[in-house]
Amino acid sequence: MELSPEHAIEIEPGLKRMILIEIIFPVALLTLGIYHGLMQVLYRSGLIHSSQFLGLEYYQGLTLHGVVNALVFTTFFAVAFGYAVVRYYLGRPLNMTVAWLSFALMVAGTLMAAAAILTGNATVLYTFYPPLRAHPAFYIGLTLAVIGSWIAFFNWIPVYVAWKRENPGRKVPLAVVGIFVTFIVWLIATIPLAVETIFLLIPWSIGWVPTVNVPLARMLFWFFGHPLVYFWLLPTYVMYYTMLPKLAGGKLYSDFAGRLTFLWLLLFSVPVGIHHQFTEPGISSTWKFVHAFFTMLVAIPSFATAFTMAASMEHGARARGGSGLFGWWRKLPYLDRDRWMFSYLFAGLFIFIFGGITGIVNASYSMNNVVHNTSWLPAHFHQTVAGPVFLSYIGMSLFLITKLTGKEIKGKGFNVWVPYIWTLGIMIFSTGLFIGGVGGEPRRTNMGLSYTDPQSPLYHVDWTAAKILGSLGGTIMTIAALIYFIVFFATLFGKRVKQGALELIVSEPYHDEQIPAVQSLTPWLAGAVLLIVVAYAPPLIQTLRSNFPGAPPYSPDSPVPLNLGPPP
Amino acid sequence: MTSAGQLERRIIVISVAFAMTLFALAALAVNLYHVGLPTCLTDIKPFEKGELITHSPTHYELHYVARMWTFEPEDVTVPAGSIVDIYLSAADVTHGLILPGTDVNLMAVPGAVNYARVKFEKPRDYQVLCHEFCGTGHQTMATALHVVDMQTFRARRQAAAVPEPSDPGYQVIKMKACLACHSIDGKTRSGPTFKGLYGRSEKMTDGSVITVDDAYLRESIHEPKAKIVRGFQPVMPKPQITDADVDKIIDYLKTIK
Repeated sequence: MELSPEHAIEIEPGLKRMILIEIIFPVALLTLGIYHGLMQVLYRSGLIHSSQFLGLEYYQGLTLHGVVNALVFTTFFAVAFGYAVVRYYLGRPLNMTVAWLSFALMVAGTLMAAAAILTGNATVLYTFYPPLRAHPAFYIGLTLAVIGSWIAFFNWIPVYVAWKRENPGRKVPLAVVGIFVTFIVWLIATIPLAVETIFLLIPWSIGWVPTVNVPLARMLFWFFGHPLVYFWLLPTYVMYYTMLPKLAGGKLYSDFAGRLTFLWLLLFSVPVGIHHQFTEPGISSTWKFVHAFFTMLVAIPSFATAFTMAASMEHGARARGGSGLFGWWRKLPYLDRDRWMFSYLFAGLFIFIFGGITGIVNASYSMNNVVHNTSWLPAHFHQTVAGPVFLSYIGMSLFLITKLTGKEIKGKGFNVWVPYIWTLGIMIFSTGLFIGGVGGEPRRTNMGLSYTDPQSPLYHVDWTAAKILGSLGGTIMTIAALIYFIVFFATLFGKRVKQGALELIVSEPYHDEQIPAVQSLTPWLAGAVLLIVVAYAPPLIQTLRSNFPGAPPYSPDSPVPLNLGPPP
Repeated sequence: MTSAGQLERRIIVISVAFAMTLFALAALAVNLYHVGLPTCLTDIKPFEKGELITHSPTHYELHYVARMWTFEPEDVTVPAGSIVDIYLSAADVTHGLILPGTDVNLMAVPGAVNYARVKFEKPRDYQVLCHEFCGTGHQTMATALHVVDMQTFRARRQAAAVPEPSDPGYQVIKMKACLACHSIDGKTRSGPTFKGLYGRSEKMTDGSVITVDDAYLRESIHEPKAKIVRGFQPVMPKPQITDADVDKIIDYLKTIK
């Protein structure tokens, strides 16, 4: 892709090496995560009637699938991409001692958690709901990885401050605003997670305290769990606003729309978590409704993004000779091998139409009662995190690898099809799971041993269509991923054709509005903190005052509580 | 003449006003019609015994206890046309309860009690499922809920009511949570049923056939993964159990044919 060769910049070899490892390490782990994705659909559809396959148990594989794909891959990518954006746009070298410290914590933490999962000591899924107990290494590992990602962000702040001082009155580059909002949301969201693991789960899983307050742990988890999805989505939005218009051959329709989207997400990402807990006891319906209201508000920037992207692509298509009311859609570079990044971003945007609408269903208070914890949910979040987020992340990983190593992409013709095959797979997979979900098919269940086993007294004939579509779609997704992995590693091990450098795709704004309200992060951050206090202080106080009896730890394979410490 | 900017502003104002009105109406509906979300029941102490309580022939209170990996009570029958108030408590880990075909969708959270009301209009057999991961036996955590006409209901009521066994072997089985996977009434759970097990010939996963006797039972309790009955998974954990308790279990199993 030679879109803007003049934009390539030389960077420090240390930083280059670190960004490369932060991309290669999670992509290598992703092979394991995706293998377990395929296994899930095969078990669920009843093609495997077993509790385990090749030494890995179903729920152990499910834990691995969630932790690797949704937590490890995403966090590593966001950090690597953040480094690239900050270094590229702000043009200053970073403190490498701090950077390597952050890197070491993230890798060590990930390896600790992975060891706990692979040895079967952390089969608690990526939401780790207590009182199912994992080995302390699992919680400690994840906490270290999170702290590592904080340190990466702290490393960018002085660079940002110095840039602001040197460029008074200039707008902060849009991509930098996006990355900073990403990590501010992450920092806010991971504080309740750290409180949950450090004060509740780690002491309890070691055996220092006998019981855990489950309703409190769940509220803290979802305080983190929903902003987490915006942490995934925000780097994707950075790519949409700053790269997609250029790839389409045009300009970003509105710079203001981009800034407002990021800041709006900063404001409303966090005070929404209770919409995951609508069906739970111990939280009053007043606060459930308040969170439903805020969740509707957080959908607005996604609509703004959809319209802005359509307008930007129209601008590009018309510049490429497109015409007519709808005829210009034909002029986009869908299969342009040299602009392959377009296909990764465009396919994700398409999937997100469905992912976004079903998200609104989930958040719609009483409608959630039909779908909560059914297979509808994995269908929805695969259309979001495994749609636009996954495709843009793997696309950008490949893009950065080629630029930083100076290597030519291998299998260009196959590569440009990866997102479309993935889209086909995910649409079929999700359709199956949506249908099953409306009929009550539970998520996170090894159904091959019961509901989809004709020999079982629990056999559920209604879920036949769902299981066929689910396994077919999942298999197609795996094929797309397999092609991607081949392209990725063939490119990585290929020959260097030029000097490696840092290069990003940069779109010019079409409307470059000068609106003061979106030029400073501070007032929006203050608003965000205020909303969090309003939305979370009362339900947290309610939960703490309710004096729920604590729960002892349990191993997932036995109904008898674990006895961890010596008896008192 | 209206400029484009003014028009835009006007559209924004109208849209925001429209959205706020819709939300105000939604909030009003939630309060006036008690739109069905589980209510806050923080003041109720979690119960440990599941039961069906009759308030009137058409109004019942159903106390479900969710535990790894059964619901108590099992196989509940209620008459068509009745209102059932479901209360849900979790005895060990977090569970879920979904009743496909109705709006009932609840989380069972240790320490708290959940609630939903449902009206069953017509006779139908429902399946009650656990929809939250609760351990390796999660996929078989389900029970039936039968809605039958009033006549059938009355007839079944009289036939029912089996008291809990007082056998010391049963007490061990209950305390060691064997019932999570092994029923005593012939139902298939994650493990083979205890009913009629003693003396039965079972086919193993390796193809051999074993007649269940004292030696086999002793081995299977102490070394659960040594021999697995065909059709089941090697998922049973090793229990902490004394030889005296094992003897009690074996004696009890001999009595349930």
